[in-house]
Amino acid sequence: MKRIFSLVVAVLLVFSLGACNKEQEVKELQMLWWSDGTEGAVMQTLLTQYETATGIKIELVEIPYADYEARLATMISGGESPTLARVTEGHLNNFKNQIVSLKGVYDSSGFTNLFYNEANEVISLPMDITANGLFVNTELLAKYDVNYPKLGDPVWTWDEFEVEMNKLRAGVGSDVNFPGVFDPQAHRFFPMIYQHGTKIWNTPYSASNLTSAPAVKALTRLVNFYQGDLIDDAVFAGSNAAALFRTGAYGFHMSGNWNVSSYQDLDFDWEVVPMPKDANRATILGGKSMAAFKNSKAEKEATDFIAWLAKGENHDKFTGGVPYLTPRLGANVDYGAFADNYAVFLDEIAATDASYVQDWLTQVMIPGMYPMINEAIRKAAAAEATPLEVLTELETLLKDTMK
Amino acid sequence: MRKATWYMYAVAIFFAFFFLVPTIYIIFSAFKPMAELFSTNPTFIPRNWTFDNFTNALNRGNFSLYIFNTFLVAISSTVIAVIINTMAGYALSKFRFKGENVIMLLILSTIMLPLEVIMVPIFSVLRFFGLYNSLWALIIPPAATPTGIFLMRQYLLTIPDEVIQSARIDGASEWRIFWSIILPNAKPAIATLSIFSFMWRWNDYVWPLIAINSPRKYTLQLAIANFSGEFGIDYNSIIAMSALAMIPMLIVFIIFQRQFVQGTVESGMKG
Repeated sequence: MKRIFSLVVAVLLVFSLGACNKEQEVKELQMLWWSDGTEGAVMQTLLTQYETATGIKIELVEIPYADYEARLATMISGGESPTLARVTEGHLNNFKNQIVSLKGVYDSSGFTNLFYNEANEVISLPMDITANGLFVNTELLAKYDVNYPKLGDPVWTWDEFEVEMNKLRAGVGSDVNFPGVFDPQAHRFFPMIYQHGTKIWNTPYSASNLTSAPAVKALTRLVNFYQGDLIDDAVFAGSNAAALFRTGAYGFHMSGNWNVSSYQDLDFDWEVVPMPKDANRATILGGKSMAAFKNSKAEKEATDFIAWLAKGENHDKFTGGVPYLTPRLGANVDYGAFADNYAVFLDEIAATDASYVQDWLTQVMIPGMYPMINEAIRKAAAAEATPLEVLTELETLLKDTMK
Repeated sequence: MRKATWYMYAVAIFFAFFFLVPTIYIIFSAFKPMAELFSTNPTFIPRNWTFDNFTNALNRGNFSLYIFNTFLVAISSTVIAVIINTMAGYALSKFRFKGENVIMLLILSTIMLPLEVIMVPIFSVLRFFGLYNSLWALIIPPAATPTGIFLMRQYLLTIPDEVIQSARIDGASEWRIFWSIILPNAKPAIATLSIFSFMWRWNDYVWPLIAINSPRKYTLQLAIANFSGEFGIDYNSIIAMSALAMIPMLIVFIIFQRQFVQGTVESGMKG
């Protein structure tokens, strides 16, 4: 026994030496990141280029998205703020007091989708914008004779969409699981509100249109899709909509432009087609930004990097490399093989009224609004409450949060 | 001991089947292409076998480093856990001193605090001691576990006090008693604790997520979790690497299974 114990202590000592081996004392910045596809690899090439140009090494620290916010919060609360981090609008909202102002760091007038702190100073560099869009499995749609518009054709209505996609029901039980699938997130439902001709807010945070007839009509339509098995409600039980579409047994996927690159390896033909309209065409924008954090002990180095990244040639390498829709105004990004699909997203954005974009930006400043909306959609889809009841409750929740 | 009868075997096989099916399904799924993984008519055994899930996952990260880090953490932490928990269990089971019950109660009460609640204070302590972003941060804090102390204490209570008293009368020092009497007699409990500790550290995710900030120090579970993004989850890679991650645990269990069962039964612990 004694020998065994001595042996394990020896093993421990050997391993301990390895664990003790401290990192070289080279000043190194770290950038928190998560990846949905190839964007981590593209950012890594830019970081390598930055290191070559300046000698400053920035390490990409990838973190699972589900725990990203918890990790950020723990680091900030524990006094180890990250130097740089990729952030969503939700993160910007939740951590805006801990984020370094980028006023004067780069020319923010050259970008869209900007976020500001309470002093009205820009706090992030927009890295990409996301837009909603409709992906279709063209092989499956052709097999069941489903008609759909292409870019430049007259845009279909939601009623026409429903009629056409219902043709896929003939394949349920053989090669069709459901006619289609929607991402369950708020981002995918709210374009429908705009498409049905209304906005969320009449007066931000006090007078809302959520219980208006067009809003109720939009949610009722979505609920009918779920309850009528036009779209798969497995997403509320945790199934990933993109993974379902990848099976080839779904005719359409209501999602966003980030799937253009991640769907490249699909073994069936697909394309992006215009989203249906009711009263209007509309999409809503999201996006990711780069932010520098206070108390990181390297704020100057972080803002220097952001200034470098904001330069057109560097920024375009990121958006073109993934590819992503660019938030850089006037940029001419080459989307290469993805150009046709991206043209549809750009057309959706161009067809969206500016007041809707502003309405959504107002909406995303409400802390915790995503879980509230997601839960509201789930409740309505599960028939736990009527669309009107759900929207009334949601309206109250949103207003109360901003009181 | 009563001999096992055929119906006892039947019940054991029945339950083993229910526990094993999901594990075997994961292993088979690791060899399925994406379309088959999410097929509406799933099959247990892959129709088209592929190693792509493994090669794609291994190409996306430095998995040999992550596996090394995880072994380093799991083995080191287990060794420390065995030393600390055995000593603590011995003290609490065989020494009478003022406040021993209060101390035991305090130790046990920490089981009731989930890690998420004490995450920020522990993070601050780590920073204070300069352990943040070091593998020591994964080795030291979880080494002394209340469950481990409880397990060892309960097992050591079964060793008769007379054995220790006889050794003292024969002039053995307290260290000698610990090394020559307690440790050899506690082998089954030590094996159980070793398996539990290795398993806890091998599968640990939340703590490495908080304590490590450099990809060069990532553990396997942390690296596997990185296959999930905001909009997309690479299920194929997750399943393939999860299947690979099971192998070391199986080896450890196969080596220690006899002592594990004995220690679990005699200490009253359940997994």
